Amino acid sequence: MDLRLPSIPLRQTVELVHIDLPADQAEPLLERGVLPGCKICPVRSSPSGDPIVSVDGSLIALRRETAACLCVRILSGTSATQLQEAS
Amino acid sequence: MGEAHCEGEAATAVIDGRDDAPLVALIGPPNSGKTTLFNRLTGLRQKVANYPGVTVEKHVGRVDVAADRTVDLVDLPGVHGFSARSLDEKVTRDVLEGRMPGLRAPDALVLIVDSTRLENQLMLVEPVLELELPTLLVLNMWDELEERGGKVDDAALARRLGVQIARTDAHGGVGVEDVRTFLGGVVPREAGPTGRALTNVPRGTALPMMDAFAERRRRVREIVHEAGFVQPGASSSSERLDAICLHRVWGPLVFLAVVVLVFQSIFAWATPLIDGVDVLISSSGEWLGSALPDTWFRSLLVDGVWAGVGSVVVFLPQILILFLFLGVLEDSGYMARAAVIADRMMYRVGLQGRAFLPLLSGYACAVPAILAARTVDDERDRLATIFVTPFMTCSARLPVYALLIAAFIPDEPLLGPFLGQRAAVLLGLYGLGIAAAVLTAFLLKRTLLKAKPSSFLMELPPYRLPSLRSIGLRLLDRSRIFLRRAGTIIFAVAIVLWTLTQFPRVEGGPPPIDDSALGRMGQVIEPAIEPLGFDWRIGVGLVTSLAAREVIVGTLGTIYGVEEATEEDLGLQDALRRDLTLGSAIGLLVFFAFALQCMSTVAVVRRETAGWKWPALQFGYMLLLAYVGAFVAVRIF
Repeated sequence: MDLRLPSIPLRQTVELVHIDLPADQAEPLLERGVLPGCKICPVRSSPSGDPIVSVDGSLIALRRETAACLCVRILSGTSATQLQEAS
Repeated sequence: MGEAHCEGEAATAVIDGRDDAPLVALIGPPNSGKTTLFNRLTGLRQKVANYPGVTVEKHVGRVDVAADRTVDLVDLPGVHGFSARSLDEKVTRDVLEGRMPGLRAPDALVLIVDSTRLENQLMLVEPVLELELPTLLVLNMWDELEERGGKVDDAALARRLGVQIARTDAHGGVGVEDVRTFLGGVVPREAGPTGRALTNVPRGTALPMMDAFAERRRRVREIVHEAGFVQPGASSSSERLDAICLHRVWGPLVFLAVVVLVFQSIFAWATPLIDGVDVLISSSGEWLGSALPDTWFRSLLVDGVWAGVGSVVVFLPQILILFLFLGVLEDSGYMARAAVIADRMMYRVGLQGRAFLPLLSGYACAVPAILAARTVDDERDRLATIFVTPFMTCSARLPVYALLIAAFIPDEPLLGPFLGQRAAVLLGLYGLGIAAAVLTAFLLKRTLLKAKPSSFLMELPPYRLPSLRSIGLRLLDRSRIFLRRAGTIIFAVAIVLWTLTQFPRVEGGPPPIDDSALGRMGQVIEPAIEPLGFDWRIGVGLVTSLAAREVIVGTLGTIYGVEEATEEDLGLQDALRRDLTLGSAIGLLVFFAFALQCMSTVAVVRRETAGWKWPALQFGYMLLLAYVGAFVAVRIF
């Protein structure tokens, strides 16, 4: 299942599996701790609807276009149906 | 204004020239409290210069570690890594590797991190430790970590990493003495480069970059886990503030309110201060005039230099208030939110969010702003950003705007006590600049610089109360730079102009100003500016302001100063009201909003784009827009 960050509802913590970007574009994300294996949680939407996520205590604002390149995995304990209900 | 003018100057000047003091580099991620700690340790004993060839500011300060011993501390730009993608990262890397000309290799390092985000911030530790220098790890914001229920065994962390550790709250000054003790133990090493290369990815690794990062992250996680790190809960006050500042409706309103507040205060509320400085300068000029014998020297000093330099120095309070606001917004953490709110807009006109910071810096001065555009990673985006940055209303335009608005726009309320007519006109001029920038970026990205959009990433630090000490020190820096410029460039222009008003001599005395060399020069260009309703005096001002915009104010100060000495006594504002109609005053304002009247900007664009093509195109385009804009404005008003 190819689950991307924009389809995750607010306050749902997920695990980042893969960054679907070329290495040079991914590096700024990696430097700020957004790397495969990290827990990532959308906490808020900006006024224009772009996601603001929490990663290891840091708040990071992304564009939805960038967020769409982040492949994530639901952590065990939350089923896909719960996720659909939430969104 | 003026940041660029310290370039190349004193770049190698280590404080007081005592070269035997050890040098320690202070590094850390952005928003870790690095500069606050630096200010705590060095206080007023710091120097700001530029690294050779670049406009990244070099901050070096001297720290007392014992009664008769000092250590030099260099405050490096905040970085997340060492990919050297941005100029800040490159400078940091060069200094740490000992490759920065004019600065010897550091003898020890102080790495400061925000302990509430320890795991994230320790990603910098491994590359720094590879330098094998004595290192102190400063766990800053320790108070916040404990308040929010986090903890870490710092002794265990120190053992595990093999470094010394200090716990600090740099803001409140707690633990700063421990850092000083560490600095006291630093001894100078053999000079020379460290022979180490800093990279994000460990040297000799066979892994692809992304995996190498993940590998390092795994090691960091293990280390902080062993040290019993408990991530503190989210800052609830920051969350509450974000609920407003990033709210769908309130967010943009707060953004607008902040912008209006800044402009209202730099204009309306700065007036008493400006008047105060004005009175001080004119009364001291009068005193000087009465104290000196009536010679050519008195005329040069009082009518030339005092009037010319003085008319620019009066704007110091206004420029300081602008920097005060920028400082408060930056240090409080709001600036990052503003960037997020602005990003979608920027994206629509074809710029990326990273262009927001250069454009915002453009409100202070286009020169550092254009250099800041280096952080824009996409080449086409960077060129577009450079091209439109001079449309942002830099502080050099403020003296011109302030003078003309005060002379022509009545000081009456427009929207009750919140917005006066003068502030509204000022806002309008800022808006005009933004509109021109947006339109130009839009056109560029559809013609010369067509490209796919790139990504945007912004870290939002927790909101913090700005430190008065840090902001005060920064304002002191700005005043120094501003006054140094008034004392050099504007001083020189004032002397040259005064000299041109004195020749050719008529019966051994100065000629009527219309017949002087300056007057004749102005009359040559008068036909070109006549359609805009400008006379030759403004023409001379337009020519001299090519050096820098605010020079026109000093120029007019000198011209009218000399004229007044021979004719009736008018203030600068009254003299302008005599020579300009409301329409041509507004035309002049519009001209300054658009024209690229700044040689420093042209020079820096040439350097940043490696050729004359872009600066020439930019200068021509902006001049055309300015002329047409002024022409239209004169006919409307």
